[in-house]
Amino acid sequence: MAQVGLGPRKVTGKAVARPNRTAAVQGYIPEITKGLGITMSHFFKNTKEMVLGQRNDPVLEAIEEGINCISYPEQKRPYPERFRGVHRLTQRHDGSPRCVACLCCSTACPAQCIHIEPAEYAEGDKRRGLERYPKQFVIDELRCIFCGFCVEACPCDAIRMDTGIHPAPYDSRDQFIYEKDLLLKLRGRDGSRKSSYDPIEQGQQGHPGVDRERSH
Amino acid sequence: MTPTLVILFALKAFAVVMFAMNLGVILTWVDRRQGSMIQDRVGPNRAAIPVPAKILQVALVAPAFLTVVGIVYLLVNTEVEEAGRTSRALTFSQLAIFATWLTALVIAGRVRVRGAKNSFDGFLKSIGDPRRIFYGGLALHVLVLAAFVALEPTDLAPSLYKVGYGSGSALLVFAILFGAGYAAFMLQKAGVVRVTVAGLLHPAADGLKTAFKEDFIPPNADRFLHSIAPFISFFPVLVVLAVVPFGDTLCFGMDQNGALDLTNLLTQVPRDGVCADGAVDLQVVDLNVGILYFFALAGTGIVGAALAGWASDNKFSLLGGLRAASQMVSYEVTLGLTVIGAIMIYGTVRVDEMVRWQAEHAWGIFVQPLAFCLFFAAAVAESKRIPFDLPEGESEIVAGYYTEYSGMKFSMFFFAEYVAVVTSSVLMAALFLGGWHLPFVHRDGVEIAIGNSIFFEQGLSHGLVVVLGVLGFIFKVIALCFVQLTIRWTLPRFRYDQLMRLGWRKLLPASLVNILVTGLVALLIQSAGAAVQRGLNVAADLSMLAIALTGIGLSIWLVLFLLKPVHKRRLVVTSSAQYAEKRGGTRWARMEA
Repeated sequence: MAQVGLGPRKVTGKAVARPNRTAAVQGYIPEITKGLGITMSHFFKNTKEMVLGQRNDPVLEAIEEGINCISYPEQKRPYPERFRGVHRLTQRHDGSPRCVACLCCSTACPAQCIHIEPAEYAEGDKRRGLERYPKQFVIDELRCIFCGFCVEACPCDAIRMDTGIHPAPYDSRDQFIYEKDLLLKLRGRDGSRKSSYDPIEQGQQGHPGVDRERSH
Repeated sequence: MTPTLVILFALKAFAVVMFAMNLGVILTWVDRRQGSMIQDRVGPNRAAIPVPAKILQVALVAPAFLTVVGIVYLLVNTEVEEAGRTSRALTFSQLAIFATWLTALVIAGRVRVRGAKNSFDGFLKSIGDPRRIFYGGLALHVLVLAAFVALEPTDLAPSLYKVGYGSGSALLVFAILFGAGYAAFMLQKAGVVRVTVAGLLHPAADGLKTAFKEDFIPPNADRFLHSIAPFISFFPVLVVLAVVPFGDTLCFGMDQNGALDLTNLLTQVPRDGVCADGAVDLQVVDLNVGILYFFALAGTGIVGAALAGWASDNKFSLLGGLRAASQMVSYEVTLGLTVIGAIMIYGTVRVDEMVRWQAEHAWGIFVQPLAFCLFFAAAVAESKRIPFDLPEGESEIVAGYYTEYSGMKFSMFFFAEYVAVVTSSVLMAALFLGGWHLPFVHRDGVEIAIGNSIFFEQGLSHGLVVVLGVLGFIFKVIALCFVQLTIRWTLPRFRYDQLMRLGWRKLLPASLVNILVTGLVALLIQSAGAAVQRGLNVAADLSMLAIALTGIGLSIWLVLFLLKPVHKRRLVVTSSAQYAEKRGGTRWARMEA
């Protein structure tokens, strides 16, 4: 029972049994031999399994034979399907970014790590007046907290975090600044640079045909 | 001293130094590899030389081709006497079977890991478990042996010789060529191969790296002593090996002038005694002080560590140097006193005569078991390695006496430690494990005998016996080194007072008791009757039998251990495991050295 109030406290402790000092323990050599035996058995077992290619798959067969080491970076644990990795910008069929520079993502970003400089498509481009494109699209991966809000906010499925890459360690901060070109080059884990559905371009069925000059 | 002897001396010294240094280098690798394997992680494997596949293909095929040419030359150019024919045919057919199943087994193992890539792989895969190849090979070995034993006395012996010799050599040639050719063929598509040699390139890379590193000397340090200290600690551990024999004495014939004829190695020598003239010791110098030379030089090693600590102008270095000096002095006492017991038994201080005594009677580990344990502990302490590595205790004094060392001087200290492991293993092998002696192998051949009853006798040529001895000695040294490295991965570091207590209050009294008991027993045996002497001889033979049986048992255990299947059960629960399963496993890169 806990003592309440002032006054001398009674110190209670758990009695720990003294280690058993048998003659074998005090004689050093038998215990040392036992320890050496354990070390050697681990050594021989692991060496044999490595040489003969019998090593457990560290992820698939991990629970059966004790704890397995994943020897990073020779081996990597595959991330789960919905893992939020480094961002990528999805592409249209012609290789231009799907991003329309609406700034939804940079607005939603709690870390304020996305910088977008919107620009108008060139004169004569069929998308001119309908949508804009990001002249600059910069993500500071060092500030990013990988919350995924940008992906949620994007109305065009233009930004995704499905690369399965975790941000690599670099030796200077400017290397964490990912520019548009790099973001467009990254692929999703299925190897695609596109998004999961096709964009509806002007003239296609379903395109509202609305721009800044012509409203409904 | 004739020029021949001078050249021989230089050659032996070179061989011994190379042996110690190379083994030391390899030990740095073994140490890391062992640590990584014990902890189940990939060891040193990053150092690699990119080699074009074409060069590797040539490197694979050329030796195999040369071997084949050698075999064919041997077949064509040697006339076999009637008596030796059967044994020769038997040797060739057994060798051929061995080469065949080994090649198939290695390829099958690779196929199991990486999957079948061509039709031959497919064939191997259709056999199923690669162990079947081993069992099949074993059955074939036994079958052929049985056939030879059964048919040898009959009229079929000549045709047996022809079939065994012909098909055996043909199969041997084929297996060697096929194995090398297959390996070369698999490299066909590879452009450049990263050769890592199981991480053995790491020591080389480290040596190269340290050679180019800055050689820093603290501003207020004693420049001369600071520079000379690594040499003082490195030199003694290397030269100690001069007094240890690496093999039995070789006997050469003499030419007309009475000089040594090195081209004429005797084929048969008598069992007892060493040839009077024409003897070449496999030992650099035959000093009459023998083991005392070792102690004299081991004392010098202390000076190196103490100087390094003092000359660095660093408190941590000084503490490390002091620790090193007091530790090594303390354990040197034990080291010396444990050997006294052995010297009393062997009746000599010369290491080669000690080995010869053990060859004639019993190994030192049976005669002086306590001395062996004490010597082992003291030798580990002498080399300042875990669990006795307080002089460099990095948790307290940074790096001890070599805190202020960098570059090549640091690596000399580091390397001296590993060479000290080799040196102490060499000494232990010579003093307690019979040196170059193998059980039941005498100077004229193998004879298994207990007391007066002889069970097996087979004459061997002098050269073969000596080579076997040298190989046995190297094996013992490597095994002892391995145990020392295992100790490094097993035991935690002592506290300094525990270290001193162990040295002065446990090991030292124990070694004194060992001397006392040894003296009493030696006196008792001397005064005992002939019956006791005979009993001791039988006991000595039984100890040899025990060693031989242990060796055989360990080999069988190794084979069974390798054959033991690994039970694996897939457990795909997590989503990352599901993802890994879809990809065909986590092995993005195969886990290998």
